[in-house]
Amino acid sequence: MGIKIDGLLCTACMACELACGYHRDDAFALLSSCIVPYRGREKKNYLGVMLKEEDSLVAARPEGIEINRIGEEQDPDKEADASAKPMLLRESCDLCEDLDDGPLCIRVCPVDAISVE
Amino acid sequence: MEYLASDKIAIVDLGSGDITEEELDEDLVLEKIGGVGITQSLYDRFEGEDPIVLGSGLLTGSLVPGSALSVMTAKSPLTGKVSHVPVVLDAGIEFKYSGFDYMVIKGTAQKPVYLWVHDGIVDINDADEVWGKDVWAATDYIREFMGDDLIQVLGIGKAGESGSPLATTCINYWQGGDRLGFGTLFGQKMLKLIGLRGMGLLEIAEPEDFVEDCLALVSTIKSGPLKGKKGIAQMAVTLGGEDIEDWISPLIHRHMACFNTPIPTNSFVFLDEDPALLEESKVNEPGMLLTDIHPLITLKKMGLSAKDACQVLKECAKYGIDAAAVAELSEKAGTTALEDMVKSFPELKGPVDSAGTSIFSPWAMVGNQDRDTWERRQAVSYILGIHPLFALMTSELTEAKLLDLASLGTELELTQETLDEVVAEVSGKS
Repeated sequence: MGIKIDGLLCTACMACELACGYHRDDAFALLSSCIVPYRGREKKNYLGVMLKEEDSLVAARPEGIEINRIGEEQDPDKEADASAKPMLLRESCDLCEDLDDGPLCIRVCPVDAISVE
Repeated sequence: MEYLASDKIAIVDLGSGDITEEELDEDLVLEKIGGVGITQSLYDRFEGEDPIVLGSGLLTGSLVPGSALSVMTAKSPLTGKVSHVPVVLDAGIEFKYSGFDYMVIKGTAQKPVYLWVHDGIVDINDADEVWGKDVWAATDYIREFMGDDLIQVLGIGKAGESGSPLATTCINYWQGGDRLGFGTLFGQKMLKLIGLRGMGLLEIAEPEDFVEDCLALVSTIKSGPLKGKKGIAQMAVTLGGEDIEDWISPLIHRHMACFNTPIPTNSFVFLDEDPALLEESKVNEPGMLLTDIHPLITLKKMGLSAKDACQVLKECAKYGIDAAAVAELSEKAGTTALEDMVKSFPELKGPVDSAGTSIFSPWAMVGNQDRDTWERRQAVSYILGIHPLFALMTSELTEAKLLDLASLGTELELTQETLDEVVAEVSGKS
């Protein structure tokens, strides 16, 4: 079971990021979330969502999903998004295992871009 | 002030270069709640020093749907009234998380400066490198110089620098909700921009109850009449405004929401790229974000193509001049050619109807809404930190519900009576 994201539906509202931060910190903060929308390519309107899982960094881009295994060498020609830089230092997604109603990011997403697969 | 706040007010004197800090007194919150309740109060306190006051609401940056709003309060050069403009997209919450709840900017700098607000610190920096740049180039410069593409920028372009009465404060590259000439005030103060970066944390008094209430609201809104609504054109129709969807939709790439706002009220158009493109464009500046419906409606009425209209708005955003005012004055002058409109920017002067007559920016006045209802809803949104367009569309966000959430989040007893008093005071009806 894991989080599934439709990057094309995302409107970059950041509700998932805030909800995840709350799950980590019991407060509102954005620095510890394991799910974040891209915000760094604003002039090109290139929006999507990144998710840190235990072994991988998932980039849900508008054109499809890209999974990068943590620890494996990345394409040096690919520009990292500003939102991605601190992701590797964060805790990975635990599917909000302590919550009966499932992951908060799914419940808070207003456009149903996030689901469990 | 322990909850839903950073507990800090910055007083920035551009004349002397002094920056002082004060705690956010809980008694002030009990009396004025927040947002424009407190920015107005700070404005009154520093009135003799011609302040611009930036502030957030108690619910700004929280999980309450629509919690995107910070505000600026100052005396509008267009209406002569102490007025309030919205700070939306992600700039409102970036300020909320920057370590300050309010910031008073007073005095005039001797030479161009910019403010860098981050991690509970305000720096006044020399703006020699950005003064003279257009809004887009200035935003690019600051982000590159600081090495952070997520910095949110409230800034002016050449309109504000040259004293145009129609200068607007832009957010990053885009027009914000400032229809009241606050860009002119920035220019008069020699303030090129405010760079915002928020990495703070907001404690919640009753976190579980607060978040459960927010989730219930999201669920209700998602299954209500706003379900599936998206973009600037549908937003306008929802509020009773003119339908421009067929005209604009061929250019639309995707729709974009302000922070935690369930309905994306902004639409990105591609002008030099295929709007159907999914991959990242190789064009550096393929289009622009539409945030204000009013200039589009006027330019459409004047017979412009959607592409030309959006080009006008792009040039307005770069120059930092209010597009609604440009559209209005161009219509009055009979100027319909794109090049002629752009050439006219330096000469354009008010008065303009697009500034409205309210103390709240008419950016959120879409359709023929009842004026008293609109004013009340704006006041409540600006006090608590709710996106003012979203608030108009969402009956689920009742005043009682918002007050309940603010009380849950802060452990303060915030009553309807207090809200009524603050609304009356802000509206000049007390």
